Amino acid sequence: MKISQKIIKNLKSGGADFFLSVPCKLLANMITILENDKEIYYSAIPREEEGMGICAGAYLGNKLPCIMMQNTGIGNSVNSIVSLLQLYQIPVVFLISYRGTPGEPVGAQGGMGSVTEDILNTLRIPMLHCNIEEDLDKISTFTNHAKVIESPVAVLCNFNLMEDD
Amino acid sequence: MNRFELLNLLQQTIENELVICNIGLPSQELYKINDRPNYFYMLGSMGLASSIGLGLSLSIDKNVISIDGDGSVLMNMNTLATIGNRAPSNYTLLIVDNGSYGSTGDQKTFTNESTSLKNVAIGAGCKNVIECSGEETNENLQKALTDKNNSYVIISKIKSGNVPIKPIPLNAVTIRDRFRKEIGLVSYL
Repeated sequence: MKISQKIIKNLKSGGADFFLSVPCKLLANMITILENDKEIYYSAIPREEEGMGICAGAYLGNKLPCIMMQNTGIGNSVNSIVSLLQLYQIPVVFLISYRGTPGEPVGAQGGMGSVTEDILNTLRIPMLHCNIEEDLDKISTFTNHAKVIESPVAVLCNFNLMEDD
Repeated sequence: MNRFELLNLLQQTIENELVICNIGLPSQELYKINDRPNYFYMLGSMGLASSIGLGLSLSIDKNVISIDGDGSVLMNMNTLATIGNRAPSNYTLLIVDNGSYGSTGDQKTFTNESTSLKNVAIGAGCKNVIECSGEETNENLQKALTDKNNSYVIISKIKSGNVPIKPIPLNAVTIRDRFRKEIGLVSYL
């Protein structure tokens, strides 16, 4: 819970005030925290691509949106990232549980795990890697950076980090 | 009535509401009929008009109308479940259902066969789901906009068919900024 609390605190201090999630077991604690947070908007949603649309609308309405999802969700969302968020220069923070990284027990997660960073690089999306607890201190500045550069950014939280929560 | 004629008729009802308009011919026709800064034209991301409007309506108090199409809703059908559970009262989804992928050459969609978007919307949890003719759309839209306690899903059943039209000569960031200025969030235009 300590890691999740720190992540949410830093996202909020960086300006994020509108949260969506598509569930992952590594995000479960963060989802519980958000469900009980009256200062921000939070909802679960069925699919990540739809979430990119909802986030775009929230930004038009002056929110700084954050969507929490597995890295698999990037695969579901490529067109909406390029032809909506990047085309209209809309900042969104992707808070990603990075499945397929060391500690991952499910072998099948290795596939999307191995191509996630290549996809994000191809899309020119800035990445912040969180491998140890100290890395979480950079989330606040990185969140604000999305707003400054009017672009989506990705925070990648490794399996072992979240497993220790 | 086809989509161009319906969009033309809607100008009698739409005033300063914020409109998110579906990609392709719907946006191009709307631009040609009556371009306004409170119209957000989608230039990409087919399927997400309903979602963009939902996110906007959750963030501000003004009335928001998503003008979507049957083909686009079929592409992002989970949106109806999210709307059914989360749409605030200032949100209206207007589905222009011409049974056709108009922008790509009028290929038929499944609403031409066995699929009823009205039944899908009701099953997904949407309240105040109205299926009507093109001629009845304005009165139902007016009802949705004046009801301060409920969101609506209006499915306007019209004929397929397009008018000759050109791409919208605005870039995306211009569309974004003049729309946000209309909401009161941009001062530099």
